[in-house]
Amino acid sequence: MQEELFTSGRNIPHIDPSLEIWHWPISLYLFLGGLAAGILFFSALFYVLGKDKEFPAAVKITSVIPPIALTLGLLALVYDLTHPLYTWQLYMTFRIESPMSWGAWVLLLITPLSYLWTFSFYREVYPKLEAKLQVFNKFKFLHTVEKFVITNRKNIAYLFIPLSIILGVYTGILLSAFNARPLWNNAILGPLFLTSGLSTGAAAIILFSKSVKERHMFSKIDLGLIIIELALIIHMIMGYYAGSQVSLEAMDLLVGGEFTLMFFGFVVLLGLLIPALLEVIELIGYKVPVIVPAIMVIIGGLIFRFVMVEAGQLTRYLY
Amino acid sequence: MVIDTLKCVGCSDCVVACQTENNVPIGYCRDWITESVSGSYPNVELELKSERCNHCDNAPCVRCCPTGASHIVDGGIVLVTANECIGCGACIESCPYDARYQHPDGYVDKCTFCHHRLEKGQLPACVSVCPTKCMYFGDLDNPNSEVSQLLKNRKYKTLAPEAGTDPHVFYLI
Repeated sequence: MQEELFTSGRNIPHIDPSLEIWHWPISLYLFLGGLAAGILFFSALFYVLGKDKEFPAAVKITSVIPPIALTLGLLALVYDLTHPLYTWQLYMTFRIESPMSWGAWVLLLITPLSYLWTFSFYREVYPKLEAKLQVFNKFKFLHTVEKFVITNRKNIAYLFIPLSIILGVYTGILLSAFNARPLWNNAILGPLFLTSGLSTGAAAIILFSKSVKERHMFSKIDLGLIIIELALIIHMIMGYYAGSQVSLEAMDLLVGGEFTLMFFGFVVLLGLLIPALLEVIELIGYKVPVIVPAIMVIIGGLIFRFVMVEAGQLTRYLY
Repeated sequence: MVIDTLKCVGCSDCVVACQTENNVPIGYCRDWITESVSGSYPNVELELKSERCNHCDNAPCVRCCPTGASHIVDGGIVLVTANECIGCGACIESCPYDARYQHPDGYVDKCTFCHHRLEKGQLPACVSVCPTKCMYFGDLDNPNSEVSQLLKNRKYKTLAPEAGTDPHVFYLI
């Protein structure tokens, strides 16, 4: 038996007894970043493949989500900083070993690009809104900007494909780079967060899609991604199970511990298995309101981020 | 830094000296004392030790810092530049020793081995006040220094070596 205690009465705010350094804004950001990465990836991919007529929701309509999600996510990130007036220091350097530095630079590129991308579809998708607002009549230079963006759509799409993958993977690597938190410190977290981000992106496209063909296409994509995600979760748990004592303790939080209901109930069952089942039922031909599995996947993705961020901060090395 | 756990009595003098020397805000500390008891009666062993930032060679906090505020200076001391720190907390998450904290002013703070005192040729505050003289500070690269000699002649351990951080605070056991 070994017992250890602080005799000097250490009780530092947010550090003891367990870390509370990253709060809900980080979880929310990881979700929004993944969602934006997913939508931008599909939007760019189907544009490059020349299927923008066939899949309008994926390419054009949902393209309004990423700029909003990224802006909210960035605000959430800055809100969680404790020294926010120095945020500009992120852009005074590039640190190749720091995932957060990668993320900061990718966000600097992808956020304005996502605004331009949405803007290029603005008059096409919202002709009524433009008729009301008359923005183009008020600001003549917008015509030049629009022309420039539309001629460069393909180039932006080519940029989006790698950038959105980096963004999606980075939301996971951000956590997995910390070997001090055994729950996070596994290599599968990057691909897992990417898959989850793509899956929530596909679900958002299903929500906004009006054509049955497009919905079925994205139901199939989403189904595939859910299966991959489940496989990655199994691998993650196997990794903990085969790991050292600290990994086993991390696994106990998810399996038979404090976060079991949240993780297996809300993330795995309600966020992955049941929506997958509903999507299969719909693909077979039965009538299922597509909105149900799509919303379940999105909420499951959000809860997944909360579980990982909060549970991870409870795990540590004991010596 | 070398700390002799057989001589430490856990008086917390080092903690108070550090708080005074470095103006550590109330409720926070850069070093602390742990008491670990192992075994069961009658074969019980008690170990007291003073812990702090381990100034790791492979420092995860320096690796994950997005702005370069956390850095290693000549001699291997890990420092934080307050006006480069954005307070993201990545280094706090990355530290297996939980040696860092967010200063009420926002930036991240930690043990500096009293770098400002070392520059004047003085010992860190904790080392200089220890009533049992259980702490030793010196140059590990110099084979004739007191710390090198102690590590050569005594049995020692480091904390959480499995975290792969290559810590530079050694505990004589």
